[in-house]
Amino acid sequence: MSVLSADARRDFEIHRYPALIYALVPVLAVVLQAWLPRVLGRFAWFDLPLVITVFFALSRRNPIQGSLLGGVLGIFEDALTGHAIGINGIAKTLVGYLAATIGILVNVENHAVRLIMTFVLSLVGSATYFFVVRFLLGMSMDTNWMAELYKAIGNSVIALVLFPLLDRTKIRD
Amino acid sequence: MVRYRNLLVLLVLLVAQILGLAMQVRRVNSGQGDGQGVRLIRLWANGIVTPPEKVLHNTGSGISWIWNNYFDLRHARQENSDLQKTIDRLRLEQAALLEDAKQGQRLQALLNFEQKYIYKTLPAEVIGTSGSEQSRVFTINKGKKDGIDRDMAVITPDGIVGKVRDVFGHTAQVLAINDQSSGAGVIMESTRIRGILRGNSQGRPEIVDVISDQRIKAGDKVLTAGGDQIFPRGLPVGVVEKVVNDPERDGFVDVILKPAAHLDQLDEVLVITATEPRFAPDQQQDIATSEALKGAEAEKQKTSEGMAEKLPGLIDPNLPADQQPLNDTSNPNPVSRPPMAIHPDRFTPANAAPPASSGQDNGQAAPKKPGTPKPAESNPAPQGDR
Repeated sequence: MSVLSADARRDFEIHRYPALIYALVPVLAVVLQAWLPRVLGRFAWFDLPLVITVFFALSRRNPIQGSLLGGVLGIFEDALTGHAIGINGIAKTLVGYLAATIGILVNVENHAVRLIMTFVLSLVGSATYFFVVRFLLGMSMDTNWMAELYKAIGNSVIALVLFPLLDRTKIRD
Repeated sequence: MVRYRNLLVLLVLLVAQILGLAMQVRRVNSGQGDGQGVRLIRLWANGIVTPPEKVLHNTGSGISWIWNNYFDLRHARQENSDLQKTIDRLRLEQAALLEDAKQGQRLQALLNFEQKYIYKTLPAEVIGTSGSEQSRVFTINKGKKDGIDRDMAVITPDGIVGKVRDVFGHTAQVLAINDQSSGAGVIMESTRIRGILRGNSQGRPEIVDVISDQRIKAGDKVLTAGGDQIFPRGLPVGVVEKVVNDPERDGFVDVILKPAAHLDQLDEVLVITATEPRFAPDQQQDIATSEALKGAEAEKQKTSEGMAEKLPGLIDPNLPADQQPLNDTSNPNPVSRPPMAIHPDRFTPANAAPPASSGQDNGQAAPKKPGTPKPAESNPAPQGDR
């Protein structure tokens, strides 16, 4: 894992994608996240909006864009859950920011690095979610950490397959 | 300032969302629903997600329809025959229960109590979920324009499913009974213990805050209690799976249920759009049909069951009707005579046989007492001994 200066990496390794990808992929992630659990039942151990947030944050290497994308996707998810709006928003804002910040510092082209980052950021997102629910909102919600662990593993596996596919759509100079 | 721009933007985003959350919680605590802005966000999210969901759902439904109606008809004839038998059996049961139902209604009228029946339901298809493990919410393809309203009960023929939480034009969101924020009044059928049903972190419905009771056993049926003004009384909820101690309070238990409805694999649900203190017209017609077709048979069955209840010693529930002791003429050991009184007196039944002869018949020597009045010899023998 080579470490370069932030400015150098940002200048040389910012990936750009067609506008259609920016528009379609996040929407598709939210739609599939809402639809697939109907098919897979309780085995739907993944969070596609989080995977997409991590992907674009790592590719764009821009913490502001990462935070905004995470926040918007999180708010969309909250709107569908019936819970207060902003719980997922806060969690994914933080995930987007962290992913982009780390993306500036380290080389994230390596699949293993992406896998580990997605796994860790999934757990960070879950921890933030429960922190907001328990301590900021004071809601009594039980936590099933095993399910969160399975979800983090699921996200990592999806990232391993999805990231190379999305990489193919990037605009080459 | 430019150096900290990223961090500042992050802080602004986080603070804005925290403030938004605080305002929402305040509204909820003061008894108000979602604010205008929050409702708008939910509407937009629903408007963006629902159309593609409907397309995916309809595509899947179309494929399964073609499969079910053209390719997978191998066992249709046998299934049809089985279903016909089931209908016959259910018609018989319905006709048998009709009199009890009528009597129940008369008694309720006397007590000035009105039992609400499911009067009207609207079938709907599940087209999507919340996509979150922490939220057991799903979307149905019927909304305000179809007559759906907030807090309507949602069921399947197997049992209750949840209640309508949010209504949009052509869709609605349903909060399932296994969500942690749900609540329904329930009662255990055998013990009549009441409680509040909600979901746990594993997505299993459980009855919370129940005082520890040895009578609660796995397999007990749980029904709706009817006190929550959402679910009509007596609908199946599930069966008790296990009882666990409440980790936060001594002496209390949480009763974990196996839901009657398949909450993980819901395709079609029924929304109860109206409840009335009378049966729906199609239900009345169905009852009338059952009564006409099976009424006489049900009455005969009921009479024989009544006889069985009144003559418990002569009916063996483990034997078929033609082998019951009463009908069995080949029985080498007929019902034995009751023992005779050793010292008959004036309280001895007048039709009893003389003690002396009786004792001799049985090989017993009865002591004779002087002055004991001898029963009249002209008395007939006991009817049962003939």
